[in-house]
Amino acid sequence: MTIHSISNTCNEIVFSSFFKSQAKSLRNFLFYKYGNKDQAEDLAQEAFIKLWQNCSDVPIEKAKSYLYTIANNSALNGIAHEKVVLKYEKEFSGLDKTNENPEFILEEKQFGNKLLKAIENLNETQRVAFLMHRIDGKKYSEIAEELNIGIKAVEKRIHLALLELRKEIKI
Amino acid sequence: MDKNNKLAKWLNDEMTPSELADFQATEDYALYEKIKNYSSHLEVGDFNEDKVLETILKQEKSTPKSIPLYKKWFIQIAAVLVIGLGLTFVMQNYSSVTQLAQNGEKTTFLLPDNSEVVLNSGSEIQYKKWNWDNNRALKLQGEAYFKVAKGKKFEVVTNLGKVAVLGTQFNVKARENRFDVTCFEGRVKVNYKNAELVLTPGQSVTFENGKQIKTTNESSKPAWLEHQMAFEKENLNQIIAEIQRQYKVSIILKTKKTDALFSGKIPTDNLETALQIIGTTYNLNYTKTTTDKIIFQEK
Repeated sequence: MTIHSISNTCNEIVFSSFFKSQAKSLRNFLFYKYGNKDQAEDLAQEAFIKLWQNCSDVPIEKAKSYLYTIANNSALNGIAHEKVVLKYEKEFSGLDKTNENPEFILEEKQFGNKLLKAIENLNETQRVAFLMHRIDGKKYSEIAEELNIGIKAVEKRIHLALLELRKEIKI
Repeated sequence: MDKNNKLAKWLNDEMTPSELADFQATEDYALYEKIKNYSSHLEVGDFNEDKVLETILKQEKSTPKSIPLYKKWFIQIAAVLVIGLGLTFVMQNYSSVTQLAQNGEKTTFLLPDNSEVVLNSGSEIQYKKWNWDNNRALKLQGEAYFKVAKGKKFEVVTNLGKVAVLGTQFNVKARENRFDVTCFEGRVKVNYKNAELVLTPGQSVTFENGKQIKTTNESSKPAWLEHQMAFEKENLNQIIAEIQRQYKVSIILKTKKTDALFSGKIPTDNLETALQIIGTTYNLNYTKTTTDKIIFQEK
């Protein structure tokens, strides 16, 4: 009586390559939401474990939306939100590397810090959408799919995020 | 600037050249440009993906997998239907089938082997469909004509006696104390109390109160199938009972002289004629109080 269709998600090679392509951006997404890197990693791992355990029911084409559905639902578990503390790439030290004027360098540094602070202070939905675009380089359509909202809503969040950032930095 | 999420379009490099030129002319453009560039150099930091993957792959896959809920429902519904159909089938086959002809009606039906039965008015037959071909037996109350398909022994059981045949046509009438069997084709074996006799076509036998009156019958079908009641040495009470059944009327007899025996035919499709025949024969007057109530009294 058992109805059981073999799904390729159960294949270790298929699953592993899917994991490699999605694990970091899923972890990042959870980090943008909750601001705690360890927690984000744990939640991402749990989502992938659920996918693995139910691999026979989730074809690989559906696996991504399965993961993000679990990740989005994790908000229901009463996870504590922390400040999203980001940093710049190590080799990044400002825009114009030729200008070695100490005053200029200081200004650049101050701007960088102001931006991080402003991003911290964004509301969650704007921050998540903005960072998925800036850090993970996702298209608006991808973000829309993962957040399970329309593209227009993504654009609005990003637009508002930029307005907000400008306001914060200008003060 | 707020309309159409222009900043989002710009950040995604979707602005048209003229939109971009307008935007670049604004006071805040330099700041936005800086935000764009700085934010593209943000990072969260790596994590040990391989270790996580290893942990995940160590987890047991849940065994081949729960049937989704709707499928369970489907199976449950299907099971209920199958059981229901099964029960219906069993009930239909094991339980007795009853065929009934009310007073004033005749009922014709086929048995499972296509044997034909015509029930005369005020008669009832019960039989079981299950295993009919090997057990052709039915219970009769009243009168019926049978045209039996060839096959194993065919039995008609009545309160008064039993009739057993092979393929044939015959009539059985078991009313009160009188038991009539007429054979129209084939051979019919009649059991009445301890007596057993065989009828051949054209023969009929009548038992009344334990006495046997043997007669012959010349027609090829019982008279009642041709809108007549045929009586052979029957008393007034039996004739009145038959008229009541055929016409669905009630008759009150105000006479005690009911012993005279009548032989002859009375129509079943003309009440007036039927009543006149009785009146003339037994020297009675009749009055109708309502359309279905008749009183016979002595002249």
